[in-house]
Amino acid sequence: MTEYTRKQQLLHADNVCLSYGHKPVLHNINFSIRNIVRPGVQQGQVVSLLGRSGIGKTQLFRLLAGLQQPTSGSITINGNKQVQAGDMGVVFQHYYLFEWKTIQQSLYMAAHQNPAIKGNEKAAVEKWAADFDITEALPCYPHQLSGGQRQRASIIQQLLKGSSFLLFDEPFSGLDVCVLDKVVNMLLQVSVSDELKTLIIVSHDIETSVAISDTVFILGKEPGEPGATIKKEIDLIERDLAWQKDIRRQKAFIDTLEEIKATL
Amino acid sequence: MVLGWWHFSANGLMPAPGRVTVALAELSASSQLWDNILTSLMLTIKAMLYAIIITLLISWLSVIPFFKSLAQVMVKCRYLTLAGLIFVFTLLTQNGATLKLWLLIAGIVPFFVTSFLSVIVNIHQQEYDLCKTLGYNNWRTLHEVIIVGKADKVLEIIQQNFAIAWLMITMVEGVSMSEGGIGTLLIKYNKYNDLTKVLALQIVIFLLGLLFDYLLSVTRLWLFPYIRKTK
Ligand SMILES: Nc1ncnc2c1ncn2[C@@H]1O[C@H](COP(=O)(O)OP(=O)(O)OP(=O)(O)O)[C@@H](O)[C@H]1O
Ligand SMILES: [Mg+2]
Repeated sequence: MTEYTRKQQLLHADNVCLSYGHKPVLHNINFSIRNIVRPGVQQGQVVSLLGRSGIGKTQLFRLLAGLQQPTSGSITINGNKQVQAGDMGVVFQHYYLFEWKTIQQSLYMAAHQNPAIKGNEKAAVEKWAADFDITEALPCYPHQLSGGQRQRASIIQQLLKGSSFLLFDEPFSGLDVCVLDKVVNMLLQVSVSDELKTLIIVSHDIETSVAISDTVFILGKEPGEPGATIKKEIDLIERDLAWQKDIRRQKAFIDTLEEIKATL
Repeated sequence: MVLGWWHFSANGLMPAPGRVTVALAELSASSQLWDNILTSLMLTIKAMLYAIIITLLISWLSVIPFFKSLAQVMVKCRYLTLAGLIFVFTLLTQNGATLKLWLLIAGIVPFFVTSFLSVIVNIHQQEYDLCKTLGYNNWRTLHEVIIVGKADKVLEIIQQNFAIAWLMITMVEGVSMSEGGIGTLLIKYNKYNDLTKVLALQIVIFLLGLLFDYLLSVTRLWLFPYIRKTK
């Protein structure tokens, strides 16, 4: 059994509801993400948000990102700060980057928003670009990049902002196996870069998401309920399924996947 | 093919291509043509410049509700014909030159605004979202997404609407002939039934239009290298 403790609350959703007109989409969403502490390891958090298509994942994603306000309820981070656009790193599904900026310019835009690297923006941009292997793409415009390069550029841009929360909408969709592996490693690398780094992944790809997560939230709708809510929370550390490289072949992992699929 | 058809259908009324070419050569040898072209070009460029400034101000501000309705009114103004405006503008302006300038501006602005508003309306939500995630406020977002991000579209709109401005200039110049211009020239030749010269002039107007279209597209690619491949 891995030794760990769940410490202070990093993010808390309190009775979040969202409706469009009279159509409720999300109903009484409650969950919190706590800092996971492992002795001797700098361990961030990786949380997966799973649910059927059309259930409201993207809507919840936008609320968490602060791009939209809930109809009622609240989402707070770091104690009791109401989440606002700009607080979180947000990687959108199609890795949008400004078409009229070179990658370098886009990265600088983000770096300038980060007070922690003030004065050292250039070094920071170069370091991340080298780490993620897109140095030669820096002077290019987005349309000159491959899908994979674009994705990395988009992720680095949000990393450079320096916020400890990173939200990903469908980061694994449309990737071939090789690139998928790279992205997974990249996310893991980010997740251990800081004790407080918290990755929230919204995805269809249950297997990949669960394999790298420590906690899974399942968004679902009970018959008769007005909107989707968190139906289940699975603590993967407790089940000894977190932070392991070859987790996918273990029986307990496969059972957990089955359990999740049955809940969706 | 067109030339061939033209040649054979030419009769007493319609001058043959040969004669038009001669007239063209004659015209271009005279300083009269070039002076008049210069006058017209200066007027068009000046009007376009004013028009684009007015358009940009209205369109940029159209994110604010009051200016949004103003912009929408502007869009409807496309249906005001210039002929109807002449009277109003004659009352408002002192001399022929300003009258022509403002008539032209009034004629162009609605088309510019229409085009630019559709550019703004078609901006994808994710462009705004990206700005918000970077923590930008509304003004910074307006600046990044609309002012800087759509600068290339401004030139595209000028290019697309240059033809309209060019069409209007010949009309507007008929209003006040004292300053000259190709529109004036055209009207003069028309009056004397000099169809050969009219056609020759028409060709000059056509070629100038093409030249400007080309120049504008080259400038656009040079100023905004990122559009090179997206088309
Ligand atoms: N602007 C809107 N107005 C009204 N209803 C909306 C609006 N946006 C989304 N919805 C509704 O909210 C629900 C959830 O949509 P959402 O995009 O969050 O689903 P999702 O779980 O992300 O699905 P997918 O996995 O297919 O992306 C859908 O039923 C959708 O019709
Ligand atoms: Mg979605």
